[in-house]
Amino acid sequence: MSKRILQHPEVPAGETTVSWRTVGQLEDTPSFRAWLTREFPRGAAEMSGDEDMETSRRSFLKLMGASTALAGFGMAACRRPETYIVPYAKAPEWVIPGKALYYASAMPRSGGATPLVVTTFEGRPTKVAPNTLHPDGSGTDAFAQASVLDLYSPSRSRTVLRGGQKANRADLDAVIATLAKDKAAKIGFVFGADDSPTRNRLSKELASKFSAAKFYQYEALTGESAAALGDGISLVPDFEKADVVVSLDCDFVGVDASFPIAAFSQRRKPEGNDYKGKPDTSRMNRLYAIEGTYSLTGGMADHRLRVAPSQVAAFAAQLASALGAGGNAASVAAGKEFNWIMALADDLKKAAGKSAVLVGPRQPAAVHQLALAINTTLGNLGKSVHAYQTGNTGLGTLASLKKDLDGGSVDTVIFLTPSNPVFDAPADLEFATSLSKAKLSIHLGARTDATAHAATWHIPAAHYLEQWSDARSSNGVYTVVQPMILPLYPDCVSELELLLALLSEDGKLLNGEGDKGAASPAYGAVRKTFEGIADATDTAWKKLLRDGFLAGSTYAKAAPAAKAATLSSVPAPTAQSLEVVFATDSSVFDGRWIDNGWLQEVPDPITKLAWDNAALISPKTAKELGLYEEIIELEPVNQTLSKITGDEVKNAPVHPDGESGNRRAPIIKVTVNGKTAELPVLVAFGQAENVIVLPVGYGQGYDKDDELGRDTSTSSHVGRVGANTGVNVYPLRTSSTPYFATGAKVEKTDKRYSLAVGQEHAAMYGRAIAREISTMSGDKGDFDAQLKNVKFQGSDAHAPPNVSLYKQENKPGEPLLSDTLHQWGMSIDLSSCSGCNACVIACQAENNIPIVGKEQLAKGREMHWIRMDRYFAIDKDNDFDPDSPELVPQPVACVQCESAPCETVCPVNATVHTEDGLNAMAYNRCIGTRYCANNCPYKARRFNYFDYNKRNPLIAHNLYKGPFGEKQVGEAPHLQRNPNVTVRMRGVMEKCTYCVQRLKDAKIRQKRGQKQEALVAGKDSTEMTVTTSTLRIPADSVKVACQEACPASAISFGNLLDADSKLRRIRSEKNEPVLDRNYDLLQYIGTRPRTSYLARVKNPNPKMPDAPFIGKATIHMA
Amino acid sequence: MANFFPRWTNLLPLKIAICAVSVAAGVALAVTYYATPKAQNVGYQPSQPIPFSHKIHVDQLGLDCRYCHSFVDVAGHSNVPTGNTCWNCHQHVQKDSPKLAPLHREMDVTYPGYDGKPIQWVRVHKSPDYVYFNHSAHVNRGVSCQSCHGRVDQMEVVYQAENHSMGWCLECHRAPETKLRPLEEVFNLKYDAQDYVTKHGAALGVKTTEELGLKLKEQWQVKPKASCATCHH
Repeated sequence: MSKRILQHPEVPAGETTVSWRTVGQLEDTPSFRAWLTREFPRGAAEMSGDEDMETSRRSFLKLMGASTALAGFGMAACRRPETYIVPYAKAPEWVIPGKALYYASAMPRSGGATPLVVTTFEGRPTKVAPNTLHPDGSGTDAFAQASVLDLYSPSRSRTVLRGGQKANRADLDAVIATLAKDKAAKIGFVFGADDSPTRNRLSKELASKFSAAKFYQYEALTGESAAALGDGISLVPDFEKADVVVSLDCDFVGVDASFPIAAFSQRRKPEGNDYKGKPDTSRMNRLYAIEGTYSLTGGMADHRLRVAPSQVAAFAAQLASALGAGGNAASVAAGKEFNWIMALADDLKKAAGKSAVLVGPRQPAAVHQLALAINTTLGNLGKSVHAYQTGNTGLGTLASLKKDLDGGSVDTVIFLTPSNPVFDAPADLEFATSLSKAKLSIHLGARTDATAHAATWHIPAAHYLEQWSDARSSNGVYTVVQPMILPLYPDCVSELELLLALLSEDGKLLNGEGDKGAASPAYGAVRKTFEGIADATDTAWKKLLRDGFLAGSTYAKAAPAAKAATLSSVPAPTAQSLEVVFATDSSVFDGRWIDNGWLQEVPDPITKLAWDNAALISPKTAKELGLYEEIIELEPVNQTLSKITGDEVKNAPVHPDGESGNRRAPIIKVTVNGKTAELPVLVAFGQAENVIVLPVGYGQGYDKDDELGRDTSTSSHVGRVGANTGVNVYPLRTSSTPYFATGAKVEKTDKRYSLAVGQEHAAMYGRAIAREISTMSGDKGDFDAQLKNVKFQGSDAHAPPNVSLYKQENKPGEPLLSDTLHQWGMSIDLSSCSGCNACVIACQAENNIPIVGKEQLAKGREMHWIRMDRYFAIDKDNDFDPDSPELVPQPVACVQCESAPCETVCPVNATVHTEDGLNAMAYNRCIGTRYCANNCPYKARRFNYFDYNKRNPLIAHNLYKGPFGEKQVGEAPHLQRNPNVTVRMRGVMEKCTYCVQRLKDAKIRQKRGQKQEALVAGKDSTEMTVTTSTLRIPADSVKVACQEACPASAISFGNLLDADSKLRRIRSEKNEPVLDRNYDLLQYIGTRPRTSYLARVKNPNPKMPDAPFIGKATIHMA
Repeated sequence: MANFFPRWTNLLPLKIAICAVSVAAGVALAVTYYATPKAQNVGYQPSQPIPFSHKIHVDQLGLDCRYCHSFVDVAGHSNVPTGNTCWNCHQHVQKDSPKLAPLHREMDVTYPGYDGKPIQWVRVHKSPDYVYFNHSAHVNRGVSCQSCHGRVDQMEVVYQAENHSMGWCLECHRAPETKLRPLEEVFNLKYDAQDYVTKHGAALGVKTTEELGLKLKEQWQVKPKASCATCHH
């Protein structure tokens, strides 16, 4: 039975755009319909569906009656429990109990550190935010936001291991001391790809102390760009100056992010970043993307060509030859794609010196050389693209390490890389075999992964928030890494501490603190490096610690010479000989984040798959291989539904807990390079034909709870979060095919696997949900006409204005929104939003949002307050490539309706409006009727079906054991919590409240101004008159967590009553649109939301063959 | 067929109903009397590890509240003094008093039982976890310590003077004028509004304490919120 009748207006006949969320919706399967019309997935609200496991309402009442009676007797002994206040013995400097303290630091990573400001409460780091002072500070991505969870992760390595077994620290100390004294030791140091000036300085010292030492750099997916450009040379675009950007398989807004993208995103706004100007298309840049599968960058692209990754080289060669930069004039056959490339070449010629051609890091060297040649020919180098000489020079590769190990010139290996070479090195290197030849190997890592077990010694690594270090950001700005806290576990060692121990005379390993409570030796080393770069004064050092970076520092410019690319032509893939792509995963990256619950649970921005990887395949190829029907048939189904409808549902899942909601995907067998992998398959839109994308990094260990009963021999390599997630596809990857491999075969199997795919439930319906326009004149008029029409897309053209039946009054004469100082509002710019999930995780960190685990997620019980919707849309008339839809992301959280439908249905007034326009949740009042969620047209409310915060949802069936279930494991997870936000319990509804705790904090801080004014004026407080300017928070000075994290400055938040606020250029004081692009979500319902959206603008090149079909992806969901 | 229910059962439903009603009424009365914040919280006076007397320190010696509760006007949390705050004076004053043994154990490295562990003070005033209360928001806007904590300067052992229930909070949030006082007097626990009006009333143009409260409320734009999210988020 459907709970809801859909009454949204049908899409008019003239509409040419077809839009969809999932393949089931596109095909309109009956099971999808049933799923769609339900408020909650069937079974989501039930304890169980099976007879014998049923806890019916009646038995619940019986139990409740009994427990109430018991409680009555028990109450007699009830006394107020004694609680304690334990102040510090000696007050630490700066710490004010209950107040956050902020420090500048950075997260070191390949391609340039992410500069951060870290929030700490009484010494606990709880949240990271971008350092806005830093020249390369441009928001944070999902990885940076989630990194704070790793500090407290229960699966974090905390003891020294020897051969995979717990060992004595003293024994390790002895090993290190012996090593430090052996100046002839043949040590191989394996660094990560981040650039740390102190580490580079120390490695020079190490080289002089240990004459036989060798240095290597290894991260699994850093690719071959350095090999093509020159040792340690990186190309960094300056997006402020780049009018035309070409991405050759480079997901620079997503997983390949290695330079600041703020300027890129800001130039997606025709009004300018602060919305001050008149809409002007010349402010906008234009992005062309040539890629194999949909990436976030492809989603942002104005023109996107889907091409198998092996064929990108041919397109690059064609482009280069058209621009006179070498290449090959006949590498792309005449036709649509040829015209596309030639039109792109013309556009690039026009933008000579103001363009950037970027190549994905894992494309072969030849493509990097072509791009360099193109950038050089166009005169971009030094203008819109900078070539830098980084400090990572003279480092060997993993292949050379293998050779040295085999040859015996290295017999001691020290792994300092964040990657996991035993697991993720190309299979043909057989690295584990070579490693076993080493006399001694020491692995420093945060997880007890495969390399930790293969090495002789494993040392738990200090988190970057626990150590002194330094790093260069992508433009080479010297950035300091400061510890927020001593290592949580006494054995955790930082990279620099280990190197310093080896450099010291006695080889004493000092970690965390130095001798007798002195600072860690790494502190001295970093300071020494800094003094070598800047001046040696205390002031300079203190300024560095305060700002987090050294102003004016940058990399030296490099002048890479464009070498002639040696192109080897690879035949295009066919259905018989498929191409396999080893893709970087947006959740686990190369596998290093597998134990991070936040990243695992956030659905992939494109596929919306969480907790697993799956083979991705385009619909057409799936049809050719006979897989499509099977995938469609198995779209979201559940057994309860099949019982009712009588339809036999193939492979209907029977969950051990009797609940339903699992989606089962068929498993396929992929064979390439002589190896096979069996993994579930999903349909991916906009992917090149005959290409199978296999995201890497998963499948590091399975335990006894694994659905498919896979080999448990590596179960100790992962923690509770990473266990049983996905399939390892690294064994298919060889050193000659590190990114894509051709000649793959696919076979069907009769196995099924459950996948948790988001966005099939709890989704909105309505017309013109996400709106898009084009800068090009077309059948919808010119740019101005389209701008003017944004507000009238969908039903908004003809729906009469709503009249509220309620008097907007609290009591007679007292308006609901009575605050005259602040009225909050938000606006989300779809033109710069790429859908990268940074906001989702920032919100999770800020608001104590729990993870619910794969099974709960599959049932539609996710707790994320921000839902990152992702839509596909295509123009019916598109004859350029009818199988390549546009991708439109849209983050939706509670929109804080002024006339909120949820408020009127709450029987206990637990959700009510505040005076300043928030739709507040009083968690302690909520009784969990879920009427509010039922009545929410935006589906922005989340319900705690279980006590996710208290009971570990990752242990199989644990949640169903109620109070007998195991509690959250680990000693530390609660330390990450924001003390100013309630931790919600079972049975409570929750949702976004515009980070009300931040607003409160800002308001209270502002109120202190009254006293300061009195003091300054020297007047008695009784003579003081406080004005609005004293009490009102300065314009745009308070930022909400999602806005702060957003690398694209897509979220504007502010006070509607403050004329200086950025939001006021978008929205009027009366919460009405001011900017042309501004519109309300589901405006015709009459909820008067405070969060509004700005339509997406595409900036197509009119000369391109696909231009008429771009910019029409206005999304209708009916 | 025999009569299944004997005659005496006719009145049974009535008896049961009467019993149930009286039990329910009894429970309701008992809860109101024993289980409300007024009954449970007011007068709570636990003994502390060190019998610290506010009367001596504040009333006799004249210490300001903020000497020890130093962050009350900048932070949400009003801090309890750290060991070194006490030690500042007590390494010189009354240093041999046996009552200060816990402090010596915490701070005095020469003390035989020194362990450096902080003193565990017993919490007197506790707002539930789901309540967000911010001290600085109140003391900087003319609400005195005394309004919520009573005459602490007269207490030998601190006890809870007010019930701190939600209704009690709302009383003031709806009519702040009853509690507002000049910012200079916020930490003066001996403040008497009537005395103040007698002394300064003419200059301020107020005749009664009510007028003073209303004047301050008006001048300072004190508009406390009463919506849920003010304290619950």
